[in-house]
Amino acid sequence: MKQVLRTTLFGVIAAPLMYGSAFAGSFDIDAVLATDLNACKPAPSGSALKIGYAADFSDLGGFADKPASEAALYFVDLVNCAGGVDGVPVELVIKNIEGDPEVTQRAGKELMSAGVSAILGPPFPDFGEPLLQVTAGKVPTLFVASTEPTLAAAEAMSFLVAFDDTAQATAAAKFSLDKGWKTAVTFSSPGPYFGYNPQIFTKVFEAGGGKVIADYNFVPIEGMDFSAQVNSMAAAETPDVVYSAMLSFQSAVLKGQLDGAGVETNYLVTDAFEATGGYFTEGVEGFYHTTHSFPAEGSRVKQLADGYAAAKGAELENASFGGLAVDAIAVVIAAYQETGSMEPGTLGKAIAGLDGVAGATGSLSYSGTNGIPGKPVYVHQVVGGAPTLAATVE
Amino acid sequence: MTELIQQIIDGLGRGGIYALLALGIAVIFGVMHLINFAHGELITVSAYSSYWLFSIGLDWWLIAPIIVVVALVTAVIIEFVAFRWVRGAPDFTMLMTSFGVHFLVQALFVMYVSANFRQFPRPEWIFATFRVGQLNLEIYDLTVIVITLLTLLATYLLLQRTMFGISLRAAAEDFDTARLMGIRSNRVIRSAFVLSGVLAGIAAVFWLMRSGQAGPTAGLSPMLKGVLAALIGGLGSLSGAVLGGFVLGLVEVLLISRLPSSIAGLTDGIVFLLIALLFVFRPQGLISVKHVERV
Repeated sequence: MKQVLRTTLFGVIAAPLMYGSAFAGSFDIDAVLATDLNACKPAPSGSALKIGYAADFSDLGGFADKPASEAALYFVDLVNCAGGVDGVPVELVIKNIEGDPEVTQRAGKELMSAGVSAILGPPFPDFGEPLLQVTAGKVPTLFVASTEPTLAAAEAMSFLVAFDDTAQATAAAKFSLDKGWKTAVTFSSPGPYFGYNPQIFTKVFEAGGGKVIADYNFVPIEGMDFSAQVNSMAAAETPDVVYSAMLSFQSAVLKGQLDGAGVETNYLVTDAFEATGGYFTEGVEGFYHTTHSFPAEGSRVKQLADGYAAAKGAELENASFGGLAVDAIAVVIAAYQETGSMEPGTLGKAIAGLDGVAGATGSLSYSGTNGIPGKPVYVHQVVGGAPTLAATVE
Repeated sequence: MTELIQQIIDGLGRGGIYALLALGIAVIFGVMHLINFAHGELITVSAYSSYWLFSIGLDWWLIAPIIVVVALVTAVIIEFVAFRWVRGAPDFTMLMTSFGVHFLVQALFVMYVSANFRQFPRPEWIFATFRVGQLNLEIYDLTVIVITLLTLLATYLLLQRTMFGISLRAAAEDFDTARLMGIRSNRVIRSAFVLSGVLAGIAAVFWLMRSGQAGPTAGLSPMLKGVLAALIGGLGSLSGAVLGGFVLGLVEVLLISRLPSSIAGLTDGIVFLLIALLFVFRPQGLISVKHVERV
């Protein structure tokens, strides 16, 4: 018994010393977000916990990765200013993948050569897949702004940080049913995001007793004239809601043309709405959209956005994506604290088992999932040109 | 029948913008044998200019003519900075130069402005409609059709009745002979870019009024539509470009309206298939132009 007690005591006392006190510590995200960059603690020393970011700054993924990387850099500054993670500094290495699969793979190799413990990935699977070919299950990869379910695979140490499209569209359908909407029209385009979300919405909405009376095709990003679809809708039954994964400015054109044709209905769109201008867009009053956070007073996302603006003298372009980047870093830090190891394989396995990691957009749990965290889906409504929280779908 | 008339009006509205873009591309092709893939950048620059002009408090009545001037100036700058140096080079070199300009402008906006879309207000009347019998007519569509027809008429008169037009047409017919006849190549080419810029500027006004956004790729879709329309009409043919624009607009609207929703996603694919079929039977496009080969 004495021997057991001695061994246990030795473990409790010695292990933190052996692992540089890493895994015994706790990481208080609220304290970090409240850190004043002008009053830092002594700089942490020793080997840094290196996190890579294969960020897409091109016109394709820049809308997400630019604000996300800016927030990530700011957050790492805060972490280090607060004394690091139990005295260990955090380093963020960013490589621009330039919206190109080959550059993505080169960036992935360079990050691995630089000795990163984990890599944050770009939003689109066109570049996420090539990145995963390079990491090949050896370095945990966390896709900051992607909602593409096929990217997640815990076995291959590939994780989403946001909810996936299945959760997003399911939440939209449930929200619609809760609102008492019985009929819907969807706008879709074949493919993962613009086609998959309406497909899941239809499945869940109809399973819940709703009816999708028509699905119209549209050209994502480019289509700016919906006359043909609008005339067809005007001649048919008016739906209770129009659901799509359209970008904000396209949604506004669709609403304008439907209003012009006398079709009055509700509009529910995906997180692409917020990513492309959201409530800043003219003509989207009343729109509902699913998204990753709600910047309520006192929330971490609001604190992140306010802190960034105060420190940088400029607004964070998109607080949700910024929040997701902070989530990703918090997950890597949590895995490091859990294991006390910076070895990528060890961290990857630890991430797959994490539960209740405090992030900026909410709590992240990977345990028992295939790499897609269980997170709430926030439904905003644009009221008076500003977002209001219409529902939180768990 | 009412439905068909409705769709034809919608198609003509859409096609009018394509016609303006295609005409600008055809003008440049006529004098330089260049399919100008940088034509869309005139829209991109116009879009960011609109955003900036709105941010300083101007409204559409002032911004619309400024957009035309911006597109004109941009076209001249692109000619001066890029195309002047490859004039006389093989067509492929000029084509690559136009791609270069296209990607360069996009990258500059991504790097120095933002990869995010910038929003600006649309005119209040942009979605207004009125009914004629069972037809639901958009004021926007009718405005586009009327302004396009007036612009095309003015362009026709310019090309037929002025020395500039005669020079341009002569250069389009046989550039080297035109030079031997005393036409100054620099002036003709610069004028072609001015005309192309004005046409793109007018198209940009309509395009941006509806889209209300500026992004680094704002000009990509208009450029592709313009090139397609010019190809359908017959490269180098000015009247063909106009015809191609209206045909493309009509075909798109008819396909979107008529295809069952299960295959509506194939609309763009079918458009390209129809264009391929057109080229099987009329490789020169709808209207053929005799070109004198430079050897």
